[in-house]
Amino acid sequence: MTIAIILVVAAALALIFILRVTLSRSLQISAGTGLAQIQPIDVEAFRNLVDPEEADYLRMRLSASQFRRVQRWRLRATAAYVQVAGRNALVLVRMGQAAATASDAPTAEAARQLVDNALLLRRNATIALLRIYIALAWPNSGLAATVIVRGYEQLSGSAMLLGRLQNPAAPVRISATW
Amino acid sequence: MLQAHSFLWHSLWVAPNILLPVLAVFLWRSGTARQFAAFFAFAILSSVGQLAVYAADILPSVPAATFWRVEWGDLILEGVLKFALIGEIFALLFGSYASLARMGKTLIRGAGIVLVFAAALAAAYAPKNELFGIVSGANLLEQTTYLIECGILVFIFLFAAYFHISWPRQVFGIALGLSISACIHLATWALIDNGGLPHSTRVTLTFVNMATYQVCVLIWFYYLLVPGNVVTNPAVPLPETNLDVWNRELERLVRP
Repeated sequence: MTIAIILVVAAALALIFILRVTLSRSLQISAGTGLAQIQPIDVEAFRNLVDPEEADYLRMRLSASQFRRVQRWRLRATAAYVQVAGRNALVLVRMGQAAATASDAPTAEAARQLVDNALLLRRNATIALLRIYIALAWPNSGLAATVIVRGYEQLSGSAMLLGRLQNPAAPVRISATW
Repeated sequence: MLQAHSFLWHSLWVAPNILLPVLAVFLWRSGTARQFAAFFAFAILSSVGQLAVYAADILPSVPAATFWRVEWGDLILEGVLKFALIGEIFALLFGSYASLARMGKTLIRGAGIVLVFAAALAAAYAPKNELFGIVSGANLLEQTTYLIECGILVFIFLFAAYFHISWPRQVFGIALGLSISACIHLATWALIDNGGLPHSTRVTLTFVNMATYQVCVLIWFYYLLVPGNVVTNPAVPLPETNLDVWNRELERLVRP
């Protein structure tokens, strides 16, 4: 009977989750995309946090215990930035998916590219977060944030192309600092 | 009324298996059968299989052992068709996103392995009926199939939700119907296999299964034949900051 109860509860939870997705999907269709949700990110600060030279400098200047403590603070801050980057990527996914219905082929293609790059950034942000949480346990190990940085670069290129295609006359504006 | 071979029982067993091939014909005529090839095959073959089991059940000339062999054959066929259908849902949903498809495939394989182990464990701990092994074996196969199916479908929903992937309407409809069917059937078969329930309750649960499948077929009709509201997205307003500056900053970030 225990197995029956476990399986029934699991099935009920799965059903509730799927019905919630169904409900949120219908709400999303009527609500459209929420572009105001993009949160700015201070790239300068982020660059300092993920700079390996900065970490090496701190390692030389501080005692081992001090370095571990400081490095944990830096890692927590990096995690906060990466979480925001991941959330911003999701907003861009929605933006790209909305633009993908455009009638002209170049805009639709640019939107598709934007979605793909935003998804890549979301994926990289997830992997980077995992690595950051692992690094929190071992602060002396190096943290390579290159996947995130590369994701930013590709994403910005795609968003810029989409912006230009949608509004060639106006200066392309998406985000200065996120 | 809730008795085997009652009018309701016949209706709930036969109706969805008549409706599903009708849906397949509509898909064929609308030209979408090729796009949803696995669903098209599922709609026809699973109905044929179910009707064969139904015929074996009601024909007095068919001995019990033959009925259970037909049931086993149908279960295996349905299992193969359902997993092909899940593969099709995955491909239609994530296939166009190169950055996700590979990761998704790796994760879904991992999830599949875990689910197979969980299903094997659940089957191993289920009470066995030595006298009617062919019957309890079929019931356990139902539980096993639905456990894996339900788990993989939940994984697909979770994966899509995490990445905010927008579901194409028809793919969503197919996945929704299949998921509701899998969740309800998993719960009922778990109770039938492990609950030690009296016969009347087991018959009631069979009615729940048949009614659920009927509802799922209607869901497939709705999503596959009724066109959705055409959402006209206004020109997407881009966020208020300068992309050129952003890009320059990122360039510096990558190549300091």
